[in-house]
Amino acid sequence: MMNSLRAPFGNDGHVCECAQHINSISGRMEIDPLGNYSYPLSGQELMAMNPYRPWSARITSITELTETEKLFEFRFIDERIRNAFRHKPGQFVEVSIFGVGEAPISISSSPTKEGFFELCVRRAGAFTQVLHEMQCGDIVGIRGPFGRGFPLDLMRGHDVLCVAGGLGIAPLRSLINNIHDERSSFKKVTIIYGSRTPSEVMFRDQFEMWRHRKDFDLYLTVDHPDDGWDGHVGLVTAPIPTLELNPDDTFGAICGPPVMYKFVVEEMRKRNISYDHIYMSFERHMKCGMGKCGHCQIGHQYCCVDGPVFNYWEAKNIQGSM
Amino acid sequence: MLYRVIDASEIPLLVNAFMESYEVVAPVETDQGVNFEVIDSPDEMKLDYISTVVSPKKYFLPPKEELFRFDAQANEVLPTCVEFPKRVIFGMHSCDINAMNRLDLVFKDCERPDPYYVGRREATLIVGVSCMPGENCFCRLWGADEARYGYDLFLTDIGGKYLVSMSSVEAANILERSCNPRVATDEERQAFRNQTRRRQQSFNADIPEIQEVALLMDAFHKDPFWEELGSRCLGCTACSAVCPSCFCFDIVDEMDPDGRCGSRVRLQDSCCSPDFAVVAGGHNFRPDGRTRVRHRMYHKLNGFLMTHDRMLCVGCGRCVTACKADINPIRVLEFFERKGLDNDE
Repeated sequence: MMNSLRAPFGNDGHVCECAQHINSISGRMEIDPLGNYSYPLSGQELMAMNPYRPWSARITSITELTETEKLFEFRFIDERIRNAFRHKPGQFVEVSIFGVGEAPISISSSPTKEGFFELCVRRAGAFTQVLHEMQCGDIVGIRGPFGRGFPLDLMRGHDVLCVAGGLGIAPLRSLINNIHDERSSFKKVTIIYGSRTPSEVMFRDQFEMWRHRKDFDLYLTVDHPDDGWDGHVGLVTAPIPTLELNPDDTFGAICGPPVMYKFVVEEMRKRNISYDHIYMSFERHMKCGMGKCGHCQIGHQYCCVDGPVFNYWEAKNIQGSM
Repeated sequence: MLYRVIDASEIPLLVNAFMESYEVVAPVETDQGVNFEVIDSPDEMKLDYISTVVSPKKYFLPPKEELFRFDAQANEVLPTCVEFPKRVIFGMHSCDINAMNRLDLVFKDCERPDPYYVGRREATLIVGVSCMPGENCFCRLWGADEARYGYDLFLTDIGGKYLVSMSSVEAANILERSCNPRVATDEERQAFRNQTRRRQQSFNADIPEIQEVALLMDAFHKDPFWEELGSRCLGCTACSAVCPSCFCFDIVDEMDPDGRCGSRVRLQDSCCSPDFAVVAGGHNFRPDGRTRVRHRMYHKLNGFLMTHDRMLCVGCGRCVTACKADINPIRVLEFFERKGLDNDE
């Protein structure tokens, strides 16, 4: 069974399953930065050949959201990769800055927008510091997308209650904007987004506009208001007890700092939303993104392939998750 | 499976035949104990050994390996070529073959195969050899005492002769070319049965036989035992280094001296390393020995079973020797053995 002659990359132009681009006679594997292999491969095939190999993407737009957060827009340089890259809300990519390293960052743009993707990045360490200093036109390496996102297919046709705290809005924005772009597929949509202070509210322009919409119930809340703040004050859990909601028909989607989950889940459970209808995104350090390196293990699960989005029932069944 | 018998005196012929077209790795007696090393002659090989200090996983997952080259100025990947030598690992024990079969599930037979692992694995022939258990061996408890697949040839010592289980055509061809494999006689079959019986009876009876360990891991997840065991952990990661089935790794960028280009490398890592579960911003999801040691044991004795239907521990006993703090699965088994018996607790 070993060393069988699979001729995976022979001269006959035959390509078999992924990762089999190893010449079994010479025992050589080649990485060509331009993807110029002896016969044409699709973007999917190129990415599957070596899932550790990042693909060059250019920064095409940078928006300053707050003092510490920026929104980056990326486009893959290779057209084949650009066309093959498809994500789901809640998935993440591994971003490479060669010499500095690699970091997992959740995708913040909606899958309904094709040809580019956006990452919302907080300046929190050496890697993000370097990324924050980069300019439009600069190049980074990207591999992915990885992980299991929010279950859009299950959510369609139902009510959705999104609860985001702080930077948790980054992955949830992907879900929220996706729902926006196919709004008629969903019933009642409620968004609760909490920040510490008004200056930390991200995507404020978008949410300010949405405040007057009838098809989104929006609760923007802060812990410490300033004089100009006319939204809610208090924790993200505060609006949940009085929401008009149909528990049998509601999906919860939660993302925020680890301490937040327990309290939000508790409030949702009090409103009788089923364990398996409450979805939350976990934060761990996904280094490989493919269920191998072990850094993101929670109990028996890998955050990078089994998550990062888990429902509450799954989370309860993972030792050490909450 | 196809079985044939060869004489013990034919083993050097087989090894020499492999050497014609493969690099041959085999257990060698060194001043550091027995270890797998490249050999130049069958004379260097020591087939009757209890365990090697280091597991043969280093031939599939090197402690350090380059994934690709990059240009840090342009921030781009550079052309990289990785070579996978054709190799025979001669004399692997059942536990190590079973450990490798588990690595296959994670790196080869999975949704995103790892091309580096697959490349090495497919360029390697495995020749297994039977063994007698040492005092720290508990492979039988997890059913890892028998290699049912994962090898090309498996040699069982039946006293001056070997019963050879032939799995792959490639290895069988070499066996037939170099030796005189013949059909086993009734006496040889009986000798085989006596060998397996003798082996089963030779396991250390002091190691508790607890089949339901996975269930117990769940039931006693919050037991003070984990603090007692984990607080001893030195975080040295020797356990994972010697373990044949530990596969966790780190990915880091290493710069060349010129500061322009560099390599992305994969380094062997361990969940017992203190900063293993640290995320951006500094939060550590497993901040102490208790949580780290419990996680490691849990993944070995329960977690992998949940996802892959078999224990990740194969009972080779290497960590029993390697750990300076006396932390190993046998201590966990002993804890479960005591639990409930002593009412004073």
